Amino acid sequence: MLKTVFNVIKTKHIQTNQGLQCLGPFTTQACKFSNTSQLCHSEKQTHEEKQNISKAMKAYLDRAREHDEFMNEQNQEYQLGKRHLANMMGESPETFTQHDVDNAIEYLFPSGLFEKKARPMMKPPEEVFPQRKAAEFDETGRPHHFLFYTGKASFYQVLHDTVQHIVDLNRFEDAMIRKGMRPDKDQKINLSGYQWIDKDSLEAKLVETIGDKDYESFVQAFERLCSLPYSYKVKDFIMEYRKPLMSQTKAHDAPKPQYDENGRAFVTTYECLRKSARGDVTIRSPGTGKISINGEDITYFDLLQCREQVIFPLLFTNMINKVDIEANVEGGGSSGQAGAIRWGIAWGLRSFLDQETIEKMRLAGLLTRDYRTRERKKPGQQGARRKFTWKKR
Amino acid sequence: MLKTALVFVSKRKLSFSKVKYLSPTANPQPQEKIQSFRSVEHDPLKHTYNHVGQFYNISKEDRNHLFNYGGLPKTYLTQAKTFNETCVMIRQPTIDVIECLKNIDYAKPAVRFVIYGKKGSGKSLSMAHILHYANRSNFLVVHVPWVGNWMRRCQEVSNSDTKEGFINLNVDAAAWLLHFKTQNSHLLEKEDLKIAQDYVWSKREKTEKGSPLLDIVNHGINRIKFASDCVVIIADEIKKLSNSGVCKTLVAIDGFNAFFYPNTRVFTEKKEKVHPHKVVITEAFLNLTKNDWKNSAVIVTVDEIAVAEEDQISHMPRYLLGKEGFEHLDPFVPIPMENYNQKEFKSVMDYYRDRRWITPYPGQDEEVSALSANNPYNLIKVCAPL
Amino acid sequence: MATIKTLFNKCQILKSKTPLLSTFIQQNGMSQYPTYYINPIYKKDALEALIKSGEDQNLKHIPTRAALNNQTCSTAHDDLVNLFVNYVMKDGLKPLARDLVAQSFESVKRLQLEKYHKCQSEEEKAKIELNPKTIFYTAINNCKPILHLTPIKRGGVRYQVPVPLTDKKSEFLSMKWLIAAAKEKDSTVRFHLQLARELIDAANNTGRVIKRKQDLHRQCEANRAYAHYRWS
Repeated sequence: MLKTVFNVIKTKHIQTNQGLQCLGPFTTQACKFSNTSQLCHSEKQTHEEKQNISKAMKAYLDRAREHDEFMNEQNQEYQLGKRHLANMMGESPETFTQHDVDNAIEYLFPSGLFEKKARPMMKPPEEVFPQRKAAEFDETGRPHHFLFYTGKASFYQVLHDTVQHIVDLNRFEDAMIRKGMRPDKDQKINLSGYQWIDKDSLEAKLVETIGDKDYESFVQAFERLCSLPYSYKVKDFIMEYRKPLMSQTKAHDAPKPQYDENGRAFVTTYECLRKSARGDVTIRSPGTGKISINGEDITYFDLLQCREQVIFPLLFTNMINKVDIEANVEGGGSSGQAGAIRWGIAWGLRSFLDQETIEKMRLAGLLTRDYRTRERKKPGQQGARRKFTWKKR
Repeated sequence: MLKTALVFVSKRKLSFSKVKYLSPTANPQPQEKIQSFRSVEHDPLKHTYNHVGQFYNISKEDRNHLFNYGGLPKTYLTQAKTFNETCVMIRQPTIDVIECLKNIDYAKPAVRFVIYGKKGSGKSLSMAHILHYANRSNFLVVHVPWVGNWMRRCQEVSNSDTKEGFINLNVDAAAWLLHFKTQNSHLLEKEDLKIAQDYVWSKREKTEKGSPLLDIVNHGINRIKFASDCVVIIADEIKKLSNSGVCKTLVAIDGFNAFFYPNTRVFTEKKEKVHPHKVVITEAFLNLTKNDWKNSAVIVTVDEIAVAEEDQISHMPRYLLGKEGFEHLDPFVPIPMENYNQKEFKSVMDYYRDRRWITPYPGQDEEVSALSANNPYNLIKVCAPL
Repeated sequence: MATIKTLFNKCQILKSKTPLLSTFIQQNGMSQYPTYYINPIYKKDALEALIKSGEDQNLKHIPTRAALNNQTCSTAHDDLVNLFVNYVMKDGLKPLARDLVAQSFESVKRLQLEKYHKCQSEEEKAKIELNPKTIFYTAINNCKPILHLTPIKRGGVRYQVPVPLTDKKSEFLSMKWLIAAAKEKDSTVRFHLQLARELIDAANNTGRVIKRKQDLHRQCEANRAYAHYRWS
């Protein structure tokens, strides 16, 4: 009987470690008192427990296997479909990329729907179906990942790695200081063109749901890592979690100027908006500084502030006496119209200036579309923010 | 000599010659200081096209003589007080008119000039310059500083005794008579100008034929009741005198279009609006602006400001005068008053900097030029807080 | 100017709509712009300094807000004057407020030029300040209080305790007092003229506003004994 008990103990998994420990003195006591009924009961329990856990685990493993099979099937279908599509389009199936697939689908199934996600698409199954993690524990129930019991293994793995790197780099730095060497300034990590991947992308990458506080701690950990002087040593690791930002200036290209019958270069900017003012601005390049707004000169605006706004981009770029401005504007008030014209002039001037000046204009806030509008009045309040007078009784 | 006179002659034109008296202690860099905006010539008789764009000084005596009771715009007066001098810019249209006045055949009927332009482009000040010239050349000056003061800001209204249904603006008329007297004091006191017929005022008052014009003027000033009638009489007499060759006259009226604008602010006792043609003194000046007399010239400005704000649509003479006024003045010589050109603008900005009115900074000229659209009045407004 | 780190922190944290941490710079929470948009730098000399120091490389990837309606790159534009105009403004009538301040600068010039022309010697003339902006700046600087009294409750009694002022607050008080003094006038006198007089007086360290500041300082000095109540 003792033997059977010990056999049972051998085949038990780690989860019942504590149980094992409890059984230890119990078994010895059992030996002393030879309480057969109790022992039998415990044996049955463990057998039952093992069966119960097995069932749940079995179901889990079944599901995991099914998912894998399903994904394989979908993948095969996808590959096949891609080859068919390539043949249809007359291209070679070997060099048919995802981009070509997208274009082909757009051509073959034109859709008038506004929402891009609702249009017909053909993507690899990994993108279409939500990812599941591979089996996290083996059939005995022992998890593969050492951080499995945290619940978010991959996430904490990332943090663990970060901290490990921090510790290593600190040690390295100490060693270097002892040698009397300094970090190489040329190799210093330059993060100006990048931002941390946002929470959703991180979730997709780790195939786990993360809370906001967790994301915060993720960013903090990485910031800490980047702040170390030798962080360039783990640049690859950091870059995995960085997303490149588009340079703001290159986001829009300045249009090329057209030429009128006199040979003067001109650029027209339509859709100049500010509040409810709508207008268009034409800039003619070899000019003398004439400004005409709706047929009148700058005295169209009575207010000095509005005139200053119209002249602002010209002053900034020193183009006051070098271009002619023709603007048509309607709607809104004087301030809105002046703002619309200011944006139109700045936007059009880009075609006549170099990249440096355009970047300066952007920093000065001349190229940003001012989308601010009047906030609506809410019911139960007197205005947009103002509440009704509070009366105590 | 304590002061050394240094004469700089520019390589280009004689107009840019500047004479500057320098004391070595006051000016550390005599060679650099250039006052190209100030004219050498302060006598309007000698102003030519070479002086366009430069400022000339009106002496205190001339100013008190001519403009004591009006003629210079209010904004300009405050500026002159601050700058401690009365400087007027010589503009090209003014020189045009002065050259014409020098070359007109005075035996022919009167030539009429109409100065027109946008608001604040300098019509009244150019009128003042022409007046100064006329005064110096011994013209008899008939000057109305601003018709709007009568039609839109009249001081006192009364019914006329002599004309049925007409309105007298006696206080204004008396004020104008005083103005006329001050401007032409040197000519009126000569006793050349004599009236041609008797005028009976009442049972006891009568002005004889052959008495000097000054009598009627004084009578109008002393007896305000008869002021409006005096004005009409004087207009008539001046025409006769000019025709007979006793004196040459210059008629200068600022805001002439107010005589033809029906929407006045003159109200009868019954609060009815009075048309300008029902005002007695209008007749005098309409008479004077006809071209049926010789030995004279008529200069008139038409201004948007003389008219109510809702009707200030265009600054063109045909619109402001209306059909009636246009036909009355036709044919006339139109003189457009433009905004400042480059040279004039720079001259003004230099003048302001010289008078310590504006603090200079780089790029000031281009900025102010663009903001004010080179309009003189707008320029004053823009430079005020600088 | 925020350091690159705090800027990027701002980018991430605020984009994911997590609550702000106290170390990060808060942009205007009520604004219609997304929070990672930075304020524009529209003055030419400020931009030049930025490019010289190399900070503009950090800003290449951050979008900027549009410049406001009353901001220009012109040398005639002044932030402090704009702030003053806003304090003068009532009921949102900005054109009127701007006009009043412009007219008061004009009046300052006229008053100073009057004195200038009355002077006989060059030295006296050199002493008179003719730039209205300089007078404005001097006036505000002279009127800035350093301490003010706040009521602090200790043992059931409210004591008026002298407490130092931050720079911004003291500037605000100085401007507010100047405007209040300009409003205390005869109805025949115009606001801009009275304001001009107050500015000139304040620039010369005389006048009602300076007196008010000195009274406040005197009171603070008198209540010196209670200063420790600030920390109890």
